[in-house]
Amino acid sequence: MTERIKSLLDRTFDKEQAKFRRDVDWKPLLGRFVAEGIGDEARARIGLEEMLKSERPEFMDGERIAFLRTVKQIPDLHTDAEMDARRAAGTAFGEKGVVFNLTADFAPTIRDGLGARLAEIDARLARCRADGDAEGVEFLENARLSLEAVLGLVERYRAETEKRGLVDVAATLAHVPLNGARTFHEALQSLRILHYAMWCEGEYHCGLGRIDQYLFPYYDADIKAGRLTDETALEELEEFFIACNRDSDLYIGVQQGDNGQSVMLGGVTRDGKPAFNDLSRLCLKACGELKLVDPKINLRVDKSTPLEIYELGTELTAKGLGFPQYANDDVVIPALERWGYETEDARDYSVAACWEFLVPGCGMDINNIDAVSFVGALDAALRSLTRRLGDAEMSFEDVKAEFKAEVQRRADALVEKYRHVEILPGPFVSVISTDCIKKARDISKGAKYNNFGIHGTGIAVAVDSLASVRELVFEKKLVTLPGLVSLLDSDFAGRDDVRAAAKAAPKMGNADARADDLAKWLIDFWGHAFDGKRNDRGGIFRPGTGSAMYYIWHTRDVPASADGRLKGEPLSANYAPSLDVPVKGPVSVVRSFTEPDLGQVCNGGPLTIEIHDSAFAMPDGVEKVAHLVKFFIERGGHQMQINTINRDTLLDAQAHPERHRHLIVRVWGWSGYFIELDKPYQDQIIKRVEL
Amino acid sequence: MFFKGCPLRCAWCHNPEGQSAEIETMVRKGGEKVVCGRDISATELADELATNADIMNESGGGVTFSGGEPLAQAQFLLEVIPLLKARGIKLAIETSGYASAPDYQAVVSQLDFAYQDVKLLDAEAFKRWTGGDLSVVQENISWLRKSGVPYSFRVPLIPGVNDDATSRGAFAAFAAGSKIEYLPYNTAAGSKYPMLGRVYSLEGI
Repeated sequence: MTERIKSLLDRTFDKEQAKFRRDVDWKPLLGRFVAEGIGDEARARIGLEEMLKSERPEFMDGERIAFLRTVKQIPDLHTDAEMDARRAAGTAFGEKGVVFNLTADFAPTIRDGLGARLAEIDARLARCRADGDAEGVEFLENARLSLEAVLGLVERYRAETEKRGLVDVAATLAHVPLNGARTFHEALQSLRILHYAMWCEGEYHCGLGRIDQYLFPYYDADIKAGRLTDETALEELEEFFIACNRDSDLYIGVQQGDNGQSVMLGGVTRDGKPAFNDLSRLCLKACGELKLVDPKINLRVDKSTPLEIYELGTELTAKGLGFPQYANDDVVIPALERWGYETEDARDYSVAACWEFLVPGCGMDINNIDAVSFVGALDAALRSLTRRLGDAEMSFEDVKAEFKAEVQRRADALVEKYRHVEILPGPFVSVISTDCIKKARDISKGAKYNNFGIHGTGIAVAVDSLASVRELVFEKKLVTLPGLVSLLDSDFAGRDDVRAAAKAAPKMGNADARADDLAKWLIDFWGHAFDGKRNDRGGIFRPGTGSAMYYIWHTRDVPASADGRLKGEPLSANYAPSLDVPVKGPVSVVRSFTEPDLGQVCNGGPLTIEIHDSAFAMPDGVEKVAHLVKFFIERGGHQMQINTINRDTLLDAQAHPERHRHLIVRVWGWSGYFIELDKPYQDQIIKRVEL
Repeated sequence: MFFKGCPLRCAWCHNPEGQSAEIETMVRKGGEKVVCGRDISATELADELATNADIMNESGGGVTFSGGEPLAQAQFLLEVIPLLKARGIKLAIETSGYASAPDYQAVVSQLDFAYQDVKLLDAEAFKRWTGGDLSVVQENISWLRKSGVPYSFRVPLIPGVNDDATSRGAFAAFAAGSKIEYLPYNTAAGSKYPMLGRVYSLEGI
């Protein structure tokens, strides 16, 4: 990297930009919204206007891609009381209720400029007025004002750059984003501003999507015309990536680093051709040099992907970045098609904040709207079964049936709960999403795809627990089912032998059919638990194998489990072997976890494994791990993420955080700085099986 | 594939549980007991290893016989090798070379690659540090050079024993153009000794 980039990198990491920041109290604005009874669409627009008006153009020395946040807080647009009232009236919301966890359709606006969007809005607005379409008018008027607010800040930034003699930046801002980008640099600056504005409007977990596809034409034209060399192109990209880390500590998420700035590289184009290109390579190279947690790299691969690309990805893994997260086109694209996504859209898939598969631009899916706890369901099933049957004869088939029924009951309850979901509007993000101006409707009212995603948490613990019940209660008859249930309430008190037997029972991750068969059975029915169900937007419910942060949250509701796990011990993250399980090795883990037909559960949820950093001590370490990923893909795995860690280093980081400021770990679907995580998340990572 | 049992007792051995041919119990720091070693027949072992034939063949990998000293169970190897080759699995060995010439040749001639240790070049030093007779190893190495089996020499660099410049020069001359790898000293070499109730003699070097 160049000196300039190194300097920007260090200063950004050290949060030099924090010196420009200030607090703003948005309560008066919120009070005004309530007092004047301002509608949702207008609130979003006014919030954006006020936010951008409060922003002050500031720059870090040496930067050429401008825009940084100086206002720490985004305005709240509704009071808790207002939201609670809506919930009480039967409306469900996804998280905060705003548009989130999606990827906008940046490409056309980078190409055409916001000026073109304004012209389209005006034309459509005229027709709405003529048609008496009040809703359309309201959306488009607010959309227009939102664009004006963004362009207003751009102009203030431009004026300031002129004042400070930042000639290059001034020239760029004079052209984009009002006009279409002409160069790679202008495209990156345009993207930065559009993305920045989304956060200011209140959207969060805003993904960047397939940047190697939609930015490629600018990069390619510049290279061919000699305006860029490999080195200067890398420099441009590195600066853009650094910019993604500039404001990220202000972005909301469950933990620091959980901000959803996901990028998807590679895969196939809309017409099915291989998409990995020189810009994909450059992105990987830039991340490898910068070693920052953002943007989060995802890489689409398939059976035909050459080992070389897996090795390029693994070089990032070896550096401890916790990405790339791999997605398998051979499994995901057909799965999306089966769920009703059109073929071209399916081929265009990216991921949401963490790993839920979505289509950029035309998707208003809420991919993480809720979760089913398999461990909770099994606990409830064991209790209801023993309550009903007491000491009567029962078989393991009864246990399976009760568990399946309980999972179905919970799935059905979620369908009811989320039948009617309201999404608060986002006029700006709607302008840069597909067809919203054409339809004269905010994206929150519905896009092409309006599906909801449901995580399935604790799969390995649930499978291991079922295997344990089968062995301990029905095969070895070590304990009755009622006996086992009361032991779960007491953390196996007085029966170390039962706990030891539970821990020795078959485990998912050891290529042991006695556990793997149960996993297959579980995923087979879970994959169809929502068949035929729809929300009132016409969308479906998509089951997945992810856990998000529920692997911590769901453990609060359950006692010990039949696999020998004690009360309070966390579940493994996403789709991974249970913590503390002595697994044979990564190959067995991959085998076990690819036994089920994962095309049935493509809401997402990666196989998550931890590799000890010594695996990369030898030069062939990268090749070997690359082969492991390739093996996973060839066996029909859907998604995979690898954490390169060293338990000793993590423990030292807990004791001496100041020595490990750059230590990055993969948490549940994103990479974060270890020392910034809350202790339960740190502890869970330390407990993970190190391969 | 780690075989239990070794005729040598190298002072720097970082797999002390490989030295005895008996099944042993290791006790971890937290008190957890781990049984080290198991009895298995050649067909059982071949079946077990063959479950991973797919990834081995696809990645150009295979099975490496290691230990301990795998040639201490040469007869067993001669049984299991044809069973693995029949499944197309590539085979390699990591050996001290401390075995009878017939055993060494019978096994190694069937393999795709040999990693041959070269620990020390002086007979007296070899005896002192490993307890063995260097000429046994030298005879096998002479055969290996002419055997046509692809190989690489491996030198574990032990501070104060063989890592000085003179030794390096001697090792390079010994290799005489063949591939030679120098393995850095494993500073955690002593970590498993307490688990077996033993003391690591080279602590702190």
